[in-house]
Amino acid sequence: MQDNTLSLLISGCKSWRLWTLLGWQDIRQRYARSTIGPFWITLSMGVMVGAIGLVYGTLFDQNMKGYLPLVGSGFVIWGLISGVLNDSCFAFINNSNYIRQSDACLWVYVFQVIWRQIIMLAHNFVIVIILQFVFGILKLGELIFFIPGLALLLLNLTWMAYLAATWSTRYRDIPQLISALVQILFYITPLMWWPKMMQKHQWLLTINPFANLVDLVRSPLLGTAAQPESWYVAIGLAVVGWTLALLTSARTYRQIAYWI
Amino acid sequence: MTVLIVDDISVSIPVFEVSGRSLRKALARIGQRNALADANDGVINVRALQNISFALESGDRLGLIGPNGAGKSTLLRVLAGIYRPQQGQVMRRGKAVPLLDLTLGLDNNSTGRQNIRLRGLFLGLSPAEISDNENGIIAFSELGDYIDMPVRTYSSGMRMRLAFSISMAVEADILLLDEVLAVGDSAFQAKAKARLQEVSGRAGILVMALHSSPAIMEFCNKALWLQDGMVRMLGECHEVVRAYDDFMHGRS
Repeated sequence: MQDNTLSLLISGCKSWRLWTLLGWQDIRQRYARSTIGPFWITLSMGVMVGAIGLVYGTLFDQNMKGYLPLVGSGFVIWGLISGVLNDSCFAFINNSNYIRQSDACLWVYVFQVIWRQIIMLAHNFVIVIILQFVFGILKLGELIFFIPGLALLLLNLTWMAYLAATWSTRYRDIPQLISALVQILFYITPLMWWPKMMQKHQWLLTINPFANLVDLVRSPLLGTAAQPESWYVAIGLAVVGWTLALLTSARTYRQIAYWI
Repeated sequence: MTVLIVDDISVSIPVFEVSGRSLRKALARIGQRNALADANDGVINVRALQNISFALESGDRLGLIGPNGAGKSTLLRVLAGIYRPQQGQVMRRGKAVPLLDLTLGLDNNSTGRQNIRLRGLFLGLSPAEISDNENGIIAFSELGDYIDMPVRTYSSGMRMRLAFSISMAVEADILLLDEVLAVGDSAFQAKAKARLQEVSGRAGILVMALHSSPAIMEFCNKALWLQDGMVRMLGECHEVVRAYDDFMHGRS
């Protein structure tokens, strides 16, 4: 029985067949027996993007050619972020039947949530592609940065997911707290508005690392380069966050089975 | 060489739902000490196992007996590595396969075949090993065409047969079983017993919790009598079972 924190993480990664299967199974079950199946994800996101784009585009008096892709790609990325934050709270709680029956590494259940949300992102991505075709804002030179940007976002989301999963299992108020927090973040992160529209309260963007995380992934999709400080913030956040997650794992990993 | 050494382990399980902080309970507790639990911070810690030690090596088949709530299932979870003891050490060499609760660990909405893959991965099998074993598992479970039906449509006996068959397909060094012979029809029970004998013959170590004394005598060479989370008696199977039976009948 190895208790080394890092080797636990590695053994979790190595069980990729298990967590990819568990993640797929979640998607399959949620949309079982529905005719269009997982494309409900795409459809509901598409309708939301269209409606928000139309209403707020008119309210803010925006040019649709610029505004719809902003809202579309922003919402798709936010879907990933909010999905991971909200679902990861239940990563251990909902898998209690497996955790009590098998000694599989607990990271498996965190990766299961991440994988499930990646699958949902892939479905939502259809919207981004359609917007690219309609408005033609794609620039190949910038699009390359989408991949490292997304990787860095996922790296950050994984430590957040681990912390949320662990502390939600112990303190059942955390899921409620996180869902309230995600709601607030949705409004203070530039998803429905351009960052430059918030000049009066620029501090809202400065204190919110999610603004940087979104910028990192969204800018390449809008044919622009992300702010340099977004890279610094995201990398710094990953270092601090992973340290915190591994320290938490070292202290609490062995207790989680008792908490569920 | 397969070994399983348990060195002075103690386990307490925190129970969060019970409010240990309510005023009424705090008042009631004045002047009396609760033998079962320590209360702190609104969490009740139930002492499930205390100072358990034993050592098993290849060929040993240990039966766990004791009344309900004595800690048999908790001990099996500790041996499986699911619960880490707060005190003491478990030294395990060899691949351990737990079969603890038949209703858990199967996914209700997946078919039997999908569950073979799922449980196989949980038990640490490679995809190649799973597909090699698949037909054997299906044949042993006698599920026939039901293997492609969702598990939620299965009867409890069918679930048990599937779970049992998957676990038995693993090349285990240490088998940990909890009351698994209680379910299934008599024909399958006989088959399962034969399979258990065969597996335990090659596996090395078998630890099983059983309620029925005859089954313990049939399968095990050693027995551990747990009472309130402590070892009441540990030794040769017949001796322990006899003492336990005397105790149970003497009390009732």
